[in-house]
Amino acid sequence: MGENAGIKILICQGTGGISAGAKKVEEEFVKIIAEKGVQATVGKRCDVIKTGCRGLCANDVLVDIVDPELGRVTYDFVKPEEVAQLVEEHIVNRTPLEKRKAKPYYNTFVDQQMRVVMTGCGQIDPDSLEAYLEEDGFKAIEKCVKSMKPAEVIEEVKKSGLRGRGGGGFPTGMKWSFCAASPGDKKYLICNADEGDPGAFMDRSILEGDPFCIIEGMMVAAYAIGCYYGYVYVRAEYPLAIQRLQHAIDICYEKGYLGKNIQGWGIDFDMRIKMGAGAFVCGEETALMASIEGERGMPRPRPPFPAVKGLWGKPTNINNVETFANVRHIINKGWEWYASLGTDTTKGTKIFAVTGKVKHTGLVEVPAGMSVREVIYNVCGGIANNRKFKAVQAGGPSGGCIPAEVLDTPVDYDSLIKAGAMMGSGGLVVMDETTCMVDVARFFLTFTRMESCGKCVPCRIGLKAMLDILESITQGRGKPEDIETLLEMGATIKKASLCGLGQTAPNPILSTVKYFRHEYEAHINEKRCPSNCCKELLLWQVVEDKCVKCGACLKACPSDAIVWEKGQVAYLDKEKCTKCKSCYDACRFMAIE
Amino acid sequence: MVNLTIDDKQITVPKNATIYDAAKAAGIKIPILCHDKKLHPFGGCRMCLVEVEQMKGRQIPACTTPVTEGMIVRTMTDEIVKARKMVLELLLLKHPIDCPVCDAAGDCDLQNLTYEYQVNVNRFQDEKFNHAIDYENPLIERDMNRCIHCGKCARICDEIVSYGAYTFISRGIEAKMGTEFDGPLNCEFCGSCVSVCPVGALLSRPFKFKARWWAMDKVKTVCSYCGTGCQLTLGVKDNKVLTTIYDENQGFHNGQLCTRGRWGYQFVNSDKRLTTPLVRKNDKLVEASWDEALALVAKRLGEEKAAGGKTVAGLVTPRLTSEELFLFGKLFKEGLGSDNIDHSAGYAHEALTKGAKESIGYTASPAVIADIRKTGLLLVVKSDAYETHPVIGFEINLGVKRQEVDLRIVSDKRGKLGKLPKAVNYVHKPGSELLLFKALARVIIDENLADAAAGAISGLDELKKSLAGCTPAEVAVACGVSADDITALARDYAKAEKALILLPLGLGYPGHGAELAQALLNLALLTGKIGKEGCGVLLMGEKNNSQGAADLGIYPTAGGKDAAAILDGCASGAIKTLFVAGENPVVSYPGRNRVEAALDKVEFLIVQDLFLTETAEKADVVLPVCSFAEKEGTFTSVGRAVQRVNRAIKPVGQARSDFDILSQLCGALGAARYTDPAAVFAEIAATVPAYKGLTLAGLGDAGAVYPVAGAPRFVPVAGATAAAEPGKFALVTGSALNHCGTLSRYGEGPMLVCPEGYLELGRDDAKALGISDGDQVAVKSATGEIRLKAKVGTRMPQGVVFAPYHFGEQSINSLSTGAPVTWVSIGK
Repeated sequence: MGENAGIKILICQGTGGISAGAKKVEEEFVKIIAEKGVQATVGKRCDVIKTGCRGLCANDVLVDIVDPELGRVTYDFVKPEEVAQLVEEHIVNRTPLEKRKAKPYYNTFVDQQMRVVMTGCGQIDPDSLEAYLEEDGFKAIEKCVKSMKPAEVIEEVKKSGLRGRGGGGFPTGMKWSFCAASPGDKKYLICNADEGDPGAFMDRSILEGDPFCIIEGMMVAAYAIGCYYGYVYVRAEYPLAIQRLQHAIDICYEKGYLGKNIQGWGIDFDMRIKMGAGAFVCGEETALMASIEGERGMPRPRPPFPAVKGLWGKPTNINNVETFANVRHIINKGWEWYASLGTDTTKGTKIFAVTGKVKHTGLVEVPAGMSVREVIYNVCGGIANNRKFKAVQAGGPSGGCIPAEVLDTPVDYDSLIKAGAMMGSGGLVVMDETTCMVDVARFFLTFTRMESCGKCVPCRIGLKAMLDILESITQGRGKPEDIETLLEMGATIKKASLCGLGQTAPNPILSTVKYFRHEYEAHINEKRCPSNCCKELLLWQVVEDKCVKCGACLKACPSDAIVWEKGQVAYLDKEKCTKCKSCYDACRFMAIE
Repeated sequence: MVNLTIDDKQITVPKNATIYDAAKAAGIKIPILCHDKKLHPFGGCRMCLVEVEQMKGRQIPACTTPVTEGMIVRTMTDEIVKARKMVLELLLLKHPIDCPVCDAAGDCDLQNLTYEYQVNVNRFQDEKFNHAIDYENPLIERDMNRCIHCGKCARICDEIVSYGAYTFISRGIEAKMGTEFDGPLNCEFCGSCVSVCPVGALLSRPFKFKARWWAMDKVKTVCSYCGTGCQLTLGVKDNKVLTTIYDENQGFHNGQLCTRGRWGYQFVNSDKRLTTPLVRKNDKLVEASWDEALALVAKRLGEEKAAGGKTVAGLVTPRLTSEELFLFGKLFKEGLGSDNIDHSAGYAHEALTKGAKESIGYTASPAVIADIRKTGLLLVVKSDAYETHPVIGFEINLGVKRQEVDLRIVSDKRGKLGKLPKAVNYVHKPGSELLLFKALARVIIDENLADAAAGAISGLDELKKSLAGCTPAEVAVACGVSADDITALARDYAKAEKALILLPLGLGYPGHGAELAQALLNLALLTGKIGKEGCGVLLMGEKNNSQGAADLGIYPTAGGKDAAAILDGCASGAIKTLFVAGENPVVSYPGRNRVEAALDKVEFLIVQDLFLTETAEKADVVLPVCSFAEKEGTFTSVGRAVQRVNRAIKPVGQARSDFDILSQLCGALGAARYTDPAAVFAEIAATVPAYKGLTLAGLGDAGAVYPVAGAPRFVPVAGATAAAEPGKFALVTGSALNHCGTLSRYGEGPMLVCPEGYLELGRDDAKALGISDGDQVAVKSATGEIRLKAKVGTRMPQGVVFAPYHFGEQSINSLSTGAPVTWVSIGK
């Protein structure tokens, strides 16, 4: 394409973009540009390029028009019917359409981040090898093969301080060195893309937006460790990621970036995708390997560790998608550069999937060590609906809740654990004052108890027993001794469970009891839910002096329990009320309690 | 070795030991529910958690964690006890407390641990499961409400039995141990799952409500079915054998049993047992006293003795103890002066008594069962080795899956063994195996793959001469195996560092005689694969004491008549008195018409048996005898292990042991009389060289393996293949998995699963004949016609059909004449 290539129209086509209608938008651009002979009119090429996710999926369809003179302009919420106007005004008339431009918060959202891993996402066509090569693609593996011994590659990664992004935070270089040191000429490499935490989608976005960087990361690891075969274990619920990655693998085979004697460099590497069938526990590495082998995805005891005896009984190295995505940057730019990012113990950047009651939900990549507060308020614009921040749940279902008091915790592995949460794969669920912390614990327990593989007793039965207790508390049947029972069980289950799922599943309970014990006590002793969340404990009514007579509650009520006329304060008929909470959620003025 | 400290005790254990192993060795008990020493570590129940100083903050499962140098372990801290109690509380939350009606009570690990840890209150409450109990099969009751998810059933079925009937299904609390598509259990019914179930989730249906566990006497003995020599514990109450009890410390097989060993014990207390002697009067068998019956027998034998012993003959089953076989031999050879004795139709022991004897100088296998897991390449002749000796089959499974043994199967049909990982099947035309093995020898010689020492063994030149016309290219068509495959197999066998050959023997395998054994021994001798660990040829005698019968020379050794000649003699009148002890030639010897005619013709027929068999019905005197559960003595297994049989119950009815009867008859005929098996064993030890130095008391629970030594030589063998009869099917016979000989027909368990004979044929043949699975088909040979149920599957190659031989009605020996292959036509 080159400098005078002209205008690029980048259309976000991750899963988010596509579900918002990006395909139609793209078709419309292509059609209109062709129909109107736009290229001839402006005397420039106009390339419509699909890209991966850029994080703010809530605002899809996002379209960037990059023009050598006008620079980059982002439009959000683009609809197919608006395309004609955009082309006319921006491209033909060369005046960006001010009122359709993304609001300033979009730029704040983007500018506050530091994109390393996700550089390619949202910028390049994920299906194009050329686009990847233009971004220094496969330069890292070339550098390794041509100028570094495998041991030096491992040393480089060790010195960079890269830690596993799957959640545990084990030093990646160390992990590689274990597997490299295991005797045996047959070793396997696995990329864990079984992203299962509710609300987490960073791995999916990388696979959808920049699949080649995963292939290259794996090639580097394979070279360093001495593997010739790699698996990418992707959950089948990620059809687009699978499709893009498979496409990338096919192209790599076609162009000699995979297979025997890659690019004449004298290295061999084969890889394939293995689709997971949707079990959360298959993200656990031993369960994942069992699943690849065609067995039921159940964790196996360790030792033996995968580095010694893993897939098919051979030494195996498993890293997460995001970990592999970091690798090429470390090799290309050197460990010193990478180690300069982040904190003492956590180097580089980390991608977070920020969801919940925050203004701008999405995917953000920030240098490790930024505080949770900065992520929520500076990057994501703070809490939605003018409500008060209560807590943020970090680390997915096995993580913990961080209250306002410790909001300045930096996002690195050790600080988060100290705060009672964990990095996990990087999910941040933001909760406001309407969220009941007992209910949050109940929600996550419901998930983990469903996803327990059923192998070890503490996890299989223990989580169900804890959930039963939580349910009785939220339904007003709690007993004073329940809190102690939960704490004691939680501690035992953490210590006694077989795998990471059970060992972390009590965390949501333990951290909420730690910071929000008063909420538990209110439920148990006063049969009251302070956040007005637990339906069984609520008697809803309208707070007359807060009601602004807007009628939003009437529209939300499914059971005709709200009586309201224009200009009147609403009234809630308790007989008809089904305690569904719709009015409470609909009211922007906290006038229902 | 690794040094560690457990509960302040210094312990040194091998470096592959787990913390659990180390503690056990030091006498420290760590509770377990899901651990089994035979299976891969699982780590599911979390009862064995311990604290390790070096791994603070976590609780470490003792059963999966290997020991490391300097490890400091604590097994009973407050935290640990609390965790174990919680595990039990949680299990009891779902496990029904129906111990009063649960057969596992008393033998239930959960019950015992609950008691031990005094879990008498539960902090939690929940509903019990409401899974439907699986009563769809006759042998195993599956009550998944009681299941505690130890996974042992699935693991044993997968790892050892290699069947894979079970798997976990669903997730979380809803997870349960299921079967394929959660349907009813339908498997081999070996019952391994029942044996390892720590609670009452899997129970033996035949044993249901028969006795409380603690009310039974447990008697250790040896299984009386096949030649594997599995040790057995019988559960006995009120003079009845009620069940077999699992003891993981028994035998080389760690208590593991097959379908007949586990479920086939009911013949002992079968109501079909003969309880009094019978004497033929007015052409009818009527009850008689022992005195009358024995007097009649003694008189007849006395007359035969007086006549010089030439017109009396004996057929004996190798199911008797060695001591009884010894007396039988003594009765004939000393008492009657007759060498006309034989067993197993002659051909079924010939591989040992003639084949091995001529080739290596002794009548036993130059290998033991333990070699299976120590070898590099395992060559199994006929996939039937799994059916004839199922527990040896388990050893093969383990060898292939755990020790990566390279498994090659040369067989006329496919079978379960062929499905093992990386197993290679060479499916040959029926009856051509001899030719195929000669071709292997030819390749080894032609390609100079023979061991250097082979040149020093006599007979090499004759062997080479006998291999003319046996190049792979020349035999490929006759064998139905490609020349490349034959060559490759020969090379792999010769080049393997260790290689072992298995050859199952038996009444169902008339082709597995002396020549086949010699062809195989030639291969082992040629390549030096004999006399070393993991090498040799295992000649697998069919019955529990087939090896003992060979050791004791229970066959003509001085020019007497063998089984076939004895029957011919009966038919021709040359034999006037026939003494049959436990054999049932009418059903199990080839040529039923011929056998029946012979037995009808013989002047005086004495039969002693447990049951009124098809043969006993023809007798003039029938003597009721004791089963293995009612007597003392020894059996010698395929692997040359001499093991003790112990009395579990008193004789049923008026039955007397073969020992007592034979001893009395010996006395009546002037031979030495014995009162005690120990004395006979002492005499065996003194007269049979292999048994030298053994004493009955010295055998202990484990038994003793006797050594072998002899001068090897190459014995050239002929190798004609059966000429195919155009348009007909090749019928091969053999053993069904659930049965062994004709005895298992009186075991309730085997009969529930496999009640009748069948004809197994391939799908293509069935389709061409218009036959569906379960149809009755007419099978006709030159000697007879019978009707059998068709079993259509994928095992049989085109043009080949298989039938098991055990069954009395529509018995397959009506069709066969003792040739390796019988040509039959099949119609509806």
